[in-house]
Amino acid sequence: MAQHVTERDVRGIAEYTRIHLDEDEVKQMTVDLNDIIESLKPITEYDLDGVEPTFHPIGSLSNVMREDVEKPGFTQEEALANAPARQDDCFLIPSILGEGGDR
Amino acid sequence: MAGTNFATMGIREIQAGLMNEEFTAVEVAEASLARIAEQDKDVHAFLETTEEQAIEAAEKIDMVIDSGLDITVIGPLAGIPVAYKDNMNLQGTHTTCASRMLESYVSPYTATCVRNTIEAGAIPLGKLNMDEFAFGSSTETSAFGPTRNPWDLERVPGGSSGGSAAAVAAGLATVTLGSDTGGSIRQPGSFTGTVAVKPTYGVVSRYGIVAFGSSLDQVGPFARSVEDAALTLNAISGHDPLDCTSQPVDTDFTANLAEGAKGMRIGIVPAFMDAEGLTHEVKVKVEEAAEHLRAAGAELVEVDLPNAQAAMSAYYVLGPCEAFSNLSRFDSVRYGYCDPGHKDLGGQYEASRANGFGPEARRRIMLGSYLLSAGVYDKYYYPAQQVRTLITADYTRAYEKCDVILMPASPRTAFKFGEISDPTSMYLSDMFTISLNIAGNGGMSMPCGLGADTNLPVGVQLQSPQFKDENMFRAAAALEQVYGKAPVAPAFAAKAGE
Repeated sequence: MAQHVTERDVRGIAEYTRIHLDEDEVKQMTVDLNDIIESLKPITEYDLDGVEPTFHPIGSLSNVMREDVEKPGFTQEEALANAPARQDDCFLIPSILGEGGDR
Repeated sequence: MAGTNFATMGIREIQAGLMNEEFTAVEVAEASLARIAEQDKDVHAFLETTEEQAIEAAEKIDMVIDSGLDITVIGPLAGIPVAYKDNMNLQGTHTTCASRMLESYVSPYTATCVRNTIEAGAIPLGKLNMDEFAFGSSTETSAFGPTRNPWDLERVPGGSSGGSAAAVAAGLATVTLGSDTGGSIRQPGSFTGTVAVKPTYGVVSRYGIVAFGSSLDQVGPFARSVEDAALTLNAISGHDPLDCTSQPVDTDFTANLAEGAKGMRIGIVPAFMDAEGLTHEVKVKVEEAAEHLRAAGAELVEVDLPNAQAAMSAYYVLGPCEAFSNLSRFDSVRYGYCDPGHKDLGGQYEASRANGFGPEARRRIMLGSYLLSAGVYDKYYYPAQQVRTLITADYTRAYEKCDVILMPASPRTAFKFGEISDPTSMYLSDMFTISLNIAGNGGMSMPCGLGADTNLPVGVQLQSPQFKDENMFRAAAALEQVYGKAPVAPAFAAKAGE
């Protein structure tokens, strides 16, 4: 089985996707991802020279603008209703600087 | 209404009963909710029931009837019990996507497709179980426990729209809505013997559906008859200013149901019928269905989809890439699961996403991240989009020779819980459904009897060219003439009479 990603790669991906994995999970995820990536091999073997990509099933999409008129949206209360933590009229988060800090 | 059996009735029958004052819409709602409370313990199709909304909607229908108006002026679903996959927002209900991540999320708004059913007169019964974030083919990845197949409670109902399929098969709702990204309507339709329709991408608005693969996702109905599915699609299709990919479709999907198959050209892909992994019992039933269409006057023609093999790999590149992007929104701050007690935001993000997402969601997010990374993108993602061009061209060529393509919906009948455990094998159960999502075409699973070996439902898949979904409805209606309407699963039909 080809090694597409190493455990070190998986730790990097975990950090980038903001999903904490413990060491056992890193090992298992490395095995799973290598299996899946190996199964994607046919895509790398096609002769696709000169084939234009299709990024969307509806080819003729264009941007849509609405009339520039005021419409009611969510109230502040509605927008905050699902917040796990809030303070006054704001989302509440732990500090991003200082103690602990972001990395 | 004593003895009235709503569980096995179709849309027209319920509406006739309402108009003839044999029963009221409130009685339909109450009986449906009572049946769910009683029977769904075994199936676990529902994650939440919406008693208040159901009764409120039913009372409105009864008022219209009392005023002497014909209820069909309300809309095609007037008085009909409907339920929704739990990735569809209905204001005031939980919309969990069967994930811990959204366990306590309460929808502040309603998805367009859901709103369309309610405006068409539907009685909303509740929200239905699914694979977590629609990542799966068995409903086993639901964070709230699997749904069981009403035909055999030891088996899966398929997925990811397993709850939507099982609710219809057990007679717990007349119609339900599901969503299909790589087969998530058609495969559970096949496993549960229900009429299960994935329309052309763009027929139904995706506004208010929690996104998985935005270029692949499409909403469609489950029903026990072709006409009920068509009436439901009539109610939910059309342009929505809130989804720029939705198209101005005003097709009446019931219009050609009575035309029969005479003169239709039905495409068969010989390589698919000999595909490795296709079980004998499914092959036999699908070939029988083709013969029935021939007997009804259709012409069977051989067509080729030479790049179909690459579709699987293309899908398992595109799906995770789009999922990775869509699921980055779960930040533990605005909504969704928040792991408590963290002193720094980074730690809160990482613990919340680790504990909020299940294993399959984590796998797909990380796979998508890898596939889109610099240097890897050119190896997988870009070629996958090129393959998409080839597959679309395959279909275009095939549809020069035929009106509908016929193939299995799933290579096998429903499997047992835990029978398929490694991710790559599970992905193979989508082998006949995926190409179509890549191309954006319409397809449906139509029940065609029980497999000889397992005695479980088999679905034949009918596929249509883009925005010609009426073609497959016409062929499906011709098959229904042979097979009859889809029954409620036997064990639940027996309990439907009280």
